[in-house]
Amino acid sequence: MAGIKLENLIKSYGDTRILHGIDADIADGEMIVVVGPSGCGKSTLLRMVAGLEAVTAGRILIGERVVNDLEPSQRDIAMVFQNYALYPHMTVRQNMAYGLKIRGMSRAEIARRVDEAADILELRPYLDRKPRQLSGGQRQRVAMGRAIVRHPQVFLFDEPLSNLDAKLRVQMRLEIRKLQRRLGVTSIYVTHDQVEAMTLGDRLMVLNKGVVEQFGSPIELYERPASVFVAGFIGSPAMNFLPVRVEGDAAILPNGARLPAPARAAGEATLGARPEHLTPDEAGPVAVEVEVLEQLGAATLVHGRLEGTQHEMTVQLDGVRAPEAGRIMRFAPGQLHLFDAASGKRLAD
Amino acid sequence: MLKRVHFPASPLPYLLVAPQVLITLVFFIWPASQALWQSFLIEDAFGLSTEFVWFENFEALFHDSQYLASFWRTLVFSGAVAFLSMSFALALAAFADHVGRGAGTYRTLLIWPYAVAPVLAGALWLFMFNPTLGILPYLLEMVGYEWNHHLNGTQAMLLVILAAAWKQVAYNFLFYLAAMQSIPRSVIEAAAIDGAGPVRRFFSIVFPLISPTTFFLLVINAVYAFFDTFGIIHAVTQGGPANATTTLVYKVFNDGFVGLDLGGSAAQSVILMALVIALTAVQFRFVEKRVEY
Repeated sequence: MAGIKLENLIKSYGDTRILHGIDADIADGEMIVVVGPSGCGKSTLLRMVAGLEAVTAGRILIGERVVNDLEPSQRDIAMVFQNYALYPHMTVRQNMAYGLKIRGMSRAEIARRVDEAADILELRPYLDRKPRQLSGGQRQRVAMGRAIVRHPQVFLFDEPLSNLDAKLRVQMRLEIRKLQRRLGVTSIYVTHDQVEAMTLGDRLMVLNKGVVEQFGSPIELYERPASVFVAGFIGSPAMNFLPVRVEGDAAILPNGARLPAPARAAGEATLGARPEHLTPDEAGPVAVEVEVLEQLGAATLVHGRLEGTQHEMTVQLDGVRAPEAGRIMRFAPGQLHLFDAASGKRLAD
Repeated sequence: MLKRVHFPASPLPYLLVAPQVLITLVFFIWPASQALWQSFLIEDAFGLSTEFVWFENFEALFHDSQYLASFWRTLVFSGAVAFLSMSFALALAAFADHVGRGAGTYRTLLIWPYAVAPVLAGALWLFMFNPTLGILPYLLEMVGYEWNHHLNGTQAMLLVILAAAWKQVAYNFLFYLAAMQSIPRSVIEAAAIDGAGPVRRFFSIVFPLISPTTFFLLVINAVYAFFDTFGIIHAVTQGGPANATTTLVYKVFNDGFVGLDLGGSAAQSVILMALVIALTAVQFRFVEKRVEY
């Protein structure tokens, strides 16, 4: 078992810089989720740790070892790919045994490990099938099995659930979490899905355009997002942002309403309020003109505009509510966030 | 109820397929039936009388030790050509699959030999190996090996095999490269992470996954070696020395146009025809089914 350390990791393709100096210290047994929109460099980062992409500058350490120049096979890692990357001509058993056979392990030991993994993943009945005879979820489990039989120091997951349907994704997400806890293997998990990120990670690394926007626990990211980007990316439905003018202790909304400023600032700023932190209040300062309702059963999403402006707002109400469209609803804000208007960085409370 | 779309009867579809049907009739069906008919006939040496003899020509063939020897020779020749050109093409494709920069140029250069006509290919190799003028016999002589394919049957065979295989490498290369590039990158990467080096990856992952292509090429190359190598043999050895390079297709030509045994020659081409039909049937039956990714 070993932790992972990234030191000022940089990746360039020619003149195009993909990653701008990533630093991270991942503890032994920790599960880190790297999350960001497509093209942010998260897969590149993972592939660099795996040894499938060369490092332009900086260092990668697994345990105490610098692995920059080691082959993927020498890094003692296992990777689960988005398309599973199973060997199509081999049975499930052969797929899992391949890496062990190459390492020259004895037949008895290989059989023991494969059986052990098959039991954990409930793959026993499928050991003699070929990948094409399996469903998506089963293939996913075989890919996991191929990773765990090797008892590696590090698991790398490259969007492993994005080819599954929604229900299976939720189920597999839990299984991956349980498995990782049980085996206690240091893991890096890459995804673009913020729900997956929130539920799986001990800590989240939010990546945007090759730069780490924030690196912290899911709750930290939710409660104290470091930037407008993180605030908008984490949480569903997404946070509402309004341009405000801060005067002393008050933040003035575009329609003139005054709210208590959550941080010290002067002049222009961006105010953030999560849809679930706005509570209906007849005397509340935030007035929203209701346009569309989305009934989710457990909650109701109200989409509208800040009264008298074109700024879109979303509010989440508990249970089934049915305010009519066109009506004005008033809300009292709960937790508010204030960001610098130019840089998008969080302003100190 | 199943609804079917009906088009008004029109002569147009028949007109549109007519050219293809006509070409097939004139250039394939007619000569083939002529050959079949001819194979039942024996003509006298001056072409004055013709006798219908049923299967006498075929019987004679299968009792002719020369014909049987040529059958065996053709198998060796085809096997060697297919193996040589396919394994060489496979190696080239495996390398090309790894080339990043200049891959386009590399591929284009490798495809060129395919554009060379068989007779020209034969002539090229003939000059290179000419016992008196050629560069290679000259070099071989320096290491004490005497090359003369005009006298040595084994050397003659080797020469036509080399020439025929060389010409087919480009074709095989194209198919192998395409097959390799259709293997998902991540499967190769997974094998690399599992600890397999390039050689091991090739034999345990890549080669099994391109086996449908190998099978397809095997049939194509066999057909090529059986039939399309006439030009090369004619240019390089004319079947000699002492019939050492007389394959089945060359013997058809030799017996028919040189020996003027029209019936016997026709019978041989009917046998060849049956072979092609069998190979094509095998091809359709198995290749279509065995593709798996």
